[in-house]
Amino acid sequence: MTLEAAEALKGALALVGYGLAAIGPGIGIGIVVGNAIQAMARQPEAAGMARTTMFLGIAFTEALALIGFVLFFIA
Amino acid sequence: MEDVILAASSCDTSVEIICAPENVLELFKFKDALFSIGQFDFTRTVFLIFLAMAVAMAILYFGLRGNRIVPSKFGAAIESLVTFVKEEIAHGIIGPEGSKYTPYLLSVFMIVLVGNLFEVTPFINFPVTSSMALPAIIAVLTWVIFVFVGFSKNGISYLIDTIWPKSVPIGLRWLVGLIELVSVFLLRPVTLAVRLFANMVAGHLMLTLLLASGIIFFGDVADIGARSIIGLPWFVFGLGIFVFEIVVAVLQAYIITLLSAVYVQTSVHPEH
Repeated sequence: MTLEAAEALKGALALVGYGLAAIGPGIGIGIVVGNAIQAMARQPEAAGMARTTMFLGIAFTEALALIGFVLFFIA
Repeated sequence: MEDVILAASSCDTSVEIICAPENVLELFKFKDALFSIGQFDFTRTVFLIFLAMAVAMAILYFGLRGNRIVPSKFGAAIESLVTFVKEEIAHGIIGPEGSKYTPYLLSVFMIVLVGNLFEVTPFINFPVTSSMALPAIIAVLTWVIFVFVGFSKNGISYLIDTIWPKSVPIGLRWLVGLIELVSVFLLRPVTLAVRLFANMVAGHLMLTLLLASGIIFFGDVADIGARSIIGLPWFVFGLGIFVFEIVVAVLQAYIITLLSAVYVQTSVHPEH
């Protein structure tokens, strides 16, 4: 395999890797937000607390996708 | 904006369908120094960081100066911003002791908010938080604060409770302790910095690729004729992302402040 082909393959692999890294956080953020909406609908007076916790949950879940995004550029 | 167009100007609009620069790093590095002090180059990024600092300080100074009974409209807006950080973040997360940490949290919130909003400010178009320096220094400061507070409030038991958690069954305790040690003292500051950095990099990348592609395709209308219509969807999509990025900029400023407060809170009350 030539060096150029190896470079091209590396870029393609990085793309696939980022795609894989985005699956988990995607599902996770869906679960977090879905349950937060359910909590807000069931208990509107606790909406503020649910919202803060929701953002926290999103931030923690999202970190994995963002690390994947950074690695995509490093690779 | 001209930096952006320069970065992607090598694009051949008669062949390509989107203008991507050779190397994305071009979009984040301003090489030419405005002036140099010794071996330190004062580049556009450095200038923008100082500008962000000056803007954040000016907003707070002009918003809150004087001792007035009825604040001006601008003053009322800034007061609600400060109250939000103080009540919602400092008191809401840390509790009554949060007042002590309000100045730090407010500084982080203001500098990150202004730095992030530079992304969508005309003629600046560069989020200073997308260069790792600013997120990294904020993460290091937060790390120093929560570790210092943890040790000064709880003594050495802060470290022992982290690496030898009493609530975990004895067989798993060493494993949980190891994970906790790495996640508290290593991963927390790293993810805190990377979260802000990567969000801003992603936003800046999308905005520059889409809007610059649109502008370059329209600019080449004399050479490529009807083919320049390719630029229209890029430009429209770019404008959509532009609005989304305003939301992201404010949200990321909120999240980094919120997480700083949460990390301090875990040191103030380690049992939670």
